[in-house]
Parts: sequence; structure tokens; C-alpha cells
Amino acid sequence: MTARLFRPGVLLATFALLATACGGSNATSSPSTAASSAPSVVASEPASAGPATVPPGGPVEIRWYCCLGGGEAPEQKAVEDKVVADFNASHPNIHLTFEVVTYDQANGQLATELQSGNPPDIVGPVGIGGANAFHGKWLDLAPLIQKTNYDLSGFPSNVVDIYKLDEGQVGIPFAIYPSALFYRKGLFEEAGLAEPPHKYGDKYTLNGQQLDWNYDTIRQVAKLLTVDKNNKDATQGGFDPKNIRQWGLELQRDDLRGMGAYFGSGSLVAADGKTAQIPNDWAVAWKFYYQSIWTDHISLTGPQFESKDINPEDYPFFAGNTAMSENFLWSTYGVGKLDDWDLAAIPTENGKVTAAFNADTFRILKSTKHPDEAFEVLKYLLGDAAPALLTTYGGFPARTAQQASGIAALQAQFKNQVDWQVAIDGIQYADEPNFEAPMPNYNEALKLVGSGGTYLTNWGNKPGLDMDTEINKLRADLQKVFDAGG
Amino acid sequence: MASIPIQPLSQTRSRTRWRLSRPSLGRSALARHEAKWGLIFISLWIFGFFAFTLLPMIASLIFSVTNLSFEQSTPLRFVGLDNFAAALTDHTTWDSLAVTFRFAAFNLPIAIVVPFAVALVLNSRYLRATGIFRTLFFLPYVIPFVSGVLAWQGMLNLETGWVNLFLKMVGVQNPPNWLQDTTLIYPSLAFIGLWGIGAGVIVNLAGLKGIPTELYDAAKIDGAGWWASLRNVTLPMMSPVIFYSLILGIVDVLQYFLVPLVLYNGTGEPGGSTLFFNLLLYNNAFQFNRYAYGATLAWVLFAITLAVTLIVFRTSRRWVYYAGER
Repeated sequence: MTARLFRPGVLLATFALLATACGGSNATSSPSTAASSAPSVVASEPASAGPATVPPGGPVEIRWYCCLGGGEAPEQKAVEDKVVADFNASHPNIHLTFEVVTYDQANGQLATELQSGNPPDIVGPVGIGGANAFHGKWLDLAPLIQKTNYDLSGFPSNVVDIYKLDEGQVGIPFAIYPSALFYRKGLFEEAGLAEPPHKYGDKYTLNGQQLDWNYDTIRQVAKLLTVDKNNKDATQGGFDPKNIRQWGLELQRDDLRGMGAYFGSGSLVAADGKTAQIPNDWAVAWKFYYQSIWTDHISLTGPQFESKDINPEDYPFFAGNTAMSENFLWSTYGVGKLDDWDLAAIPTENGKVTAAFNADTFRILKSTKHPDEAFEVLKYLLGDAAPALLTTYGGFPARTAQQASGIAALQAQFKNQVDWQVAIDGIQYADEPNFEAPMPNYNEALKLVGSGGTYLTNWGNKPGLDMDTEINKLRADLQKVFDAGG
Repeated sequence: MASIPIQPLSQTRSRTRWRLSRPSLGRSALARHEAKWGLIFISLWIFGFFAFTLLPMIASLIFSVTNLSFEQSTPLRFVGLDNFAAALTDHTTWDSLAVTFRFAAFNLPIAIVVPFAVALVLNSRYLRATGIFRTLFFLPYVIPFVSGVLAWQGMLNLETGWVNLFLKMVGVQNPPNWLQDTTLIYPSLAFIGLWGIGAGVIVNLAGLKGIPTELYDAAKIDGAGWWASLRNVTLPMMSPVIFYSLILGIVDVLQYFLVPLVLYNGTGEPGGSTLFFNLLLYNNAFQFNRYAYGATLAWVLFAITLAVTLIVFRTSRRWVYYAGER
């Protein structure tokens, strides 16, 4: 090999490698809508009537952008394509086109389209958090709702209010996911314990005593349901925390904000929109979480949660080795293997129930040149197309009148009878403001508090931390991130 | 007898140079035909290079001197070198550079020595079934790297990972949390990196196969043992391959990105020890949508990588031996 040939070759290879230095995809959390194997749902409101004539300049083109929160699966796309075809057939004045961008690329691509001045008109399904990455870009629907007399009375008013932000009414409810306490009846029976209350406000009977169903009570129950390899529970002497085979309680640990929201509503940003704050209830929730892992041993540690041997399918409750788990209704996608699960009430904190809430809908971008036509499409998606779309997305209908059939569809998936009324009752306790509400520098702030974020990871992995110090540190870090966002 | 005219040597050389300096292509129909097809065959690459490499590079250079961002709270404008100044005064930039160079110092020797050592073993005449071993070493390389990283995440899990289960089996009471301990994170990452040494092994093996056996025979006659042969024959003859591996290794390690992104979602955990420079760049450009600042960091990385590479090139004259070089 000669230097004359070799050196330029290496230089060229180096240059090529340098030139292609960066790139990659956004591999973050799971989509907010569940898989397509979910429930079939409901009848819709009466068909929306589009004008029957083509305008002189030809139909207005409206672009529907998917999939910031699910909807990309081939079977889902088939339904979406049919919705588009049906819409176009019944609305000669509008030509609707459908753009699928896979979840991992959807955020970046939408940002690029917005920045390059080529944005779509309507976006969805998208969760509250997913939409907040584009805070300030959504159209206030209030004038269009008023102009078209769109009836919002069919939705729970507190759910409508979730979409009332500083930007205006940025959404109309479509699919909702109230939360509840998932639990395994068999494990309660095995431990000789009463099942948790299904009705909000009911007491829990423990050792013959009537106790408020709050987080102190659930901790006691969870200890009795946490069992080591020698079948000792977490209240017994000789309990071996290093060899636990069944855990008592799993909090929702996708997002520190969501975890906090089960203890009380709040926001990490103060009313001025720029000061970082930690709601007291959330601090209590995080301390409870930390204590659950490292002191009470009723919850999985971080490495246990990450282990595919212990937690093979997203949430430990799915594997059957956790007795109780707070989660959203979309998590029913993973409980099919269990035949003894049911839903119970979320415990109270300081005498108040707060059930963290997830919701998906379609939103119109402020940049649309055709707001009226985009709203026509939105009405169609929330109306005529809703049954098919809710079915394929696995969404629970936001319209109160459709929820009974939504329940029937959900129940049809399971052999065991589930008390779905618990989830319906949970809607009234939805957190307000929603825990996914906007924050300055949203995406960067999520690196601290979101899925796989710094603090969730650290608290799950490091025993012996002083939580007051940690929480103060988090607030300071958040402030830096907020400030960096301008 | 007529004298035969002797052409001066200098003229001959001069003509030869003239001939070599003029491209022969295009001088004959066949050459033109070959040139045309050559251009046709590389045209796709040229198009791809312009469209997907050169133009984005130029665009990113332009971005880096603007205030382009997703929010665009102020109108788009030329900001000169403000972004570069901001990058150089931000302690996160220096922290991530320190992380990158610390890991490079740890990982580069491993990434060069281990494939070389494996290739030496595979090249040994005492090893049987070398084909099987070569295949086994290369196999992990063809598995998508993200899958490999996720598999290693499982292997290194504190509770159920095979590494710790083995350690417990041999009596280690409290095996380490490999992926969450700041003192063990670089060894762990280097360990994961060894998963993909297959290509390096093949390159080294090809280099070893190319060393003339006469050199070893001559060394043997001179009384050289295994070590002396390695030092005086193998290493000098392999130095171009080692140099090549080093350059690629430097470029790779300065762009180190995928493993920490998969393992830690780009947060830089544990304790900021995995916030590599390229990850900082990726976060800013593609996660936080600070396009101009991200482009600036990309050019900073380009400059650093180029500088380090050129320094290594300069040193290569002292330690890289090219057999055909005068």
C-alpha cells in the first residue's frame, strides 16, 4: 500500500464521515393512543352537511397531518383513508388529503413544515402533551364554534375546559382516558384483604376498621400485598426486600407531572408563565413514590422497572406481579392476560380526589389559510367519522351520550366483568389544569421530568437521596430551562 | 556506423511527467466512452452528495450565522458569530466536550487494540475452524446496533442482568449498577461498543493476510521470536491499517451518540456523564428546535474533528510505514 494512494483515501473517508456527522430520530415515549386492537365504539352525532357545490376556483385543499399520537398502524391507516374518501365524496367544496408521518418522526417533521412555511391545516390525533410542543401554533376555535353554533353540551364541561389555554379554546374533546386504580382481585383474596372501594367517597375496611381511602391507607394495604420469595409480606419481620416476587403498588411513572397529578392538580410553571414552581401536592407525591421504592419496598426500583424479566410489557401490572396500579384507561391494552383485574377509586390526598387525565383530539393550526374548511373537517372527524376512528385508535368517547356503548365495546374485550363506572366517575375528578399543560421550553423541560427524564431515572436508581434537596434542585434546574427558553 | 542518438535522461523524465500530468481520458474514443460511463455510474452518488451532504452543509453554515429557531420569537436575521460566541461561553459545551474526550481517551485504545488482537488470534496458524470464528466475530456487526444496545441494557441490568447474575454466582454480594454508576459508565459503554468490532476485525485480518510471509521467514532466520516478529514485522506492516482504524475511531468517538441516546433518552445521565457533544448538538437541533444553535454546534464539532484528524495525520509520517514509499 502506498502513501500516495492511501492518505487521500483516508482523508476522503474522514471528510465523508464528518460531513454526515449528525442526524437521527426522536426515540422517546410511547404514543398517547393505544393500539388498534382496542374497543369498537359508538354512534355519532348527526352527519355534518357540507356544501354540495364545487366553488369556482375548485375545491379547497385541507391537509390532515398524522401521527403525533398514534394512528400510523396499517390497519389504522386503512380506516383513516376511508374517512378521507368518505369526506371528499360528501364535501365537493373541500379536498382532504391525509399525511402519515410515523410517531418517532412526526414531531420533527411538523416542526420543519411549520418552519418552512408549508404546514398542514389539521393535526391529530394528538395528546395534550404532544400538542404542547407546538404551543402557540394552534388556532383558537372559539370564534368558529360560535359562528357555526357547534354544540359542546354533549361533552363533560371540565373536559372541554382542558383545552381552554392562553391560546384560546384550542381543541374539542374526542377521545378521553380517565384514570383509575387497576387492581388484581385474586391477590387481595389471597392476602385476606377487602377489595379497594369502587365508589369515590367510600371507606376501606382494614382489620375491621373503616378507613378513609387515602394514600396512607393504600400504603398499608400495599405493604400487605408486597411479598418476598419466602412469602413474607412487607409488614413482617424477616421480609427480604432484595428478593421481592410481588409488589403492592405501582404509581404512574411515565412523567413526574402525571405522578404528581394523582395527588392534586398543579403546574410546574407559576401564573406569570416563567417562574418554576413545585406544587405541594406533587412534592408529596414524589416523596411517597421515593419512599414506596426505597423504604416501604412496595414499588419496583428503577432497575426492576427496566428489567424485561420483571416488567416485560411496559407496566408491571400487566405481568401480574403487582397488586395495584394507578394508570389511565388506555392501559387496558395490556391487561388482557389477567382474568381477575378490576378498577377501583383513586385514593384521596388531603381529603380530595384528583384523577390524572389524558385526552386526544384533532387540532387546527393557526397558520391555516382556510379555517372554515378546516373546521368543517374537524367537525366531520369528531362527528361522522368518530365511531370508526375511536374504534381504530382505541379511544374512549368524550361525548357523554356515546360512553355507554364505549363501555360495552371495552367490556367485550375481556372475560372478567370490569366495573367501568369507576372510570366514568373519574372524569369529574380530572386534574385541572391538566398536568401536561404548557411550560416554557417544553421539550427541554421534559428531559427533566418526562418519560426517562433525569429525575425519574435518578429517584428510581439511587437510594438514600434527600428528597427535599432533590425537589429544590429540580425546581432550580427547571428555572434554568425556562429561562433558556426565553 | 551511424551513431544511435541517445536521448538525455532529463528529457525522458520530463516527457513522462508531461504524459502523466495530462489525463489520457478523452483522447481516444474508447477513453471517452469509458469516461462517459464512469460519469453515468457515479452520477447518482454525485447527485446524492450535492443534495444530501453538500447543500445541507452549506445550509447549516448559513443557519449558524442566523437566529433561526422553531419559536422564531424575533424576526429572522444575520447574527454574525453570536451563536459561536454563545456556544463557546456556555459551560454545557465545555462539559460535553470534556465528557467526549474523557470517553475517547478510555475507549479509543480499546477500540483499536481489541480488534487487532482478535485479528491476530484469528490469523494464527494454530487456530482451527478460523472461518467459524470469523463469522462469529462478525455476526454481531450485522445486527442493528439499537437492538444490540437494548440487549446489552438487559445484560447489564442491576437486578436481572446476566453480568450481575454471574457476579452473584461467584460470590459478589452487591454487584454494581453498571449503567447508573458514574465511575463504571465508560467501561460499560466501551463494553457495549465491543459488540460491533466485527468490521474492525475483518479490516485488521485483511491487513495481516497482506503481510508477505517472506518477512516472517527472514525474521525467523534472524532469530526473532513471536514478540520480536510482532514488534518488528507485524506492527510496522500493519501501521497503515492501524492508522486507518485510528482515524475512523477518532471520527466515531467524537460523534458518539446512539448508545447514550438509546440508554438515557438523551438526558446525559448518570450525572451528566453521557452528555456527549454530538448528543448536545442533537438535543439542541432536533429536540429543542434551536436550529441555528444546533448548526453552530455541528460546525464546532466539524472543526474539532478536523483539527484532531489533521494532527494525527501530521504525526503519521513518524509512525506509519508504507511499503511502497521512498
